Amino acid sequence: MAKDSKHANHTDQRASSEPPDRPTGPLSIPVSNEARDEVKVNNANVSELKNACDDAVKRYLARPDLFKQIHVHTDVRLGLGWLSVFVAAGAALYGYKVEFEKSKPVVWFGVIMYVVLTTIQTLYAYFVEGDTVFMGRRKTFSKRIITERITLSSKTQPATKPTKNQPTSTPPAYTLSISYFRSTNAGKSLLARGKTKVVRGYPSFFDEQGTMHQEVFEKWVGEAVESAMDGKND
Amino acid sequence: MFADELKTFRRLGLRHVLLQLLNFASVIASGLMIWKGLGLVTNSESPIVVVLSGSMEPAFYRGDLLFLTNPANQRYQTGDITVYKIPGADIPIVHRVLETHDDKKKDKQLLLTKGDNNYVDDLELYQGLQWLERKHIVGKVRGFLPYIGYVTIAMNDFPQLKFALLGGLGLLALIQRE
Repeated sequence: MAKDSKHANHTDQRASSEPPDRPTGPLSIPVSNEARDEVKVNNANVSELKNACDDAVKRYLARPDLFKQIHVHTDVRLGLGWLSVFVAAGAALYGYKVEFEKSKPVVWFGVIMYVVLTTIQTLYAYFVEGDTVFMGRRKTFSKRIITERITLSSKTQPATKPTKNQPTSTPPAYTLSISYFRSTNAGKSLLARGKTKVVRGYPSFFDEQGTMHQEVFEKWVGEAVESAMDGKND
Repeated sequence: MFADELKTFRRLGLRHVLLQLLNFASVIASGLMIWKGLGLVTNSESPIVVVLSGSMEPAFYRGDLLFLTNPANQRYQTGDITVYKIPGADIPIVHRVLETHDDKKKDKQLLLTKGDNNYVDDLELYQGLQWLERKHIVGKVRGFLPYIGYVTIAMNDFPQLKFALLGGLGLLALIQRE
């Protein structure tokens, strides 16, 4: 117990003075210009805007020397999804080959399994995955093995009309929530923990034609991630 | 020709490609399961059929869509409109029940049918059988929608339409994201 609290105080002191010991944040690694593909979306479609921002976050943080993306949610969705497709195909093929009355038990089983798998998929996506956009992990070696875990989730804040308390309307905005853990000793001693939440309207990142200002977006994301890495807690 | 697509796929990664394919495949899978589930619930091999001939006019015209059920424990009665398939002939026929008899020895129902718009009953269509049995019946007509069946008739007469529709659906699923 005593060791931990001393550790926490030590980290707090160091966080305020830009510790040299902190692993490299995304802002320190510049993006080469040739790697850049232009992103163009339909300005009027808010879900396209959100998807473009989500993709940019994934591209930005999964660069070499930065976080390694954890694909658990995608893999679960792929596994359950393809399993349900094969169950459906199998049941349909069986029902096609075998005469109707005899095929009934197998087709019943197939249909019920399909419904169960689809329900599990939906529940997983809603409760477990939720708004998560990126889950990453990194191991660095500086004096000791430091393990970092970062989770980013995003949501769109809808546009608002002018009201009495707020006379101007606000555009739809992109909310990014970042949760960060740094630990050593195989996760047993916590070095730093940060949680930030940043919001900015979509017009700051997209121009009238719908082209994305990726540098502006990446700088904004990088600053938010680095403040989470510094131990800021919202 | 495919170099550009291959480059895009490699950049996007295997997972992305699998996800897009999954979108397309799950649309087809859910359609299949809805169809099979409907068949199980109605106890009918083909719960939705299209009228192909004019033998039931003026009740049903060519191109009408019919909805069938086949309750296992209900007797069929004179006046019911049934869809049946003779083993050996592929096409389901929709005609009205004219006579029913119960075969006590074998505990099954025997039926004779006739199209409203035909002059004679269906004995010639039975391919040697004297009566229709329950196992030949696909179902009893419960409801119908006029004209909708022409889509299926068009797709059967012009098979290119079927592929065009499937291709269009696939393209839509691949282009859009959820």
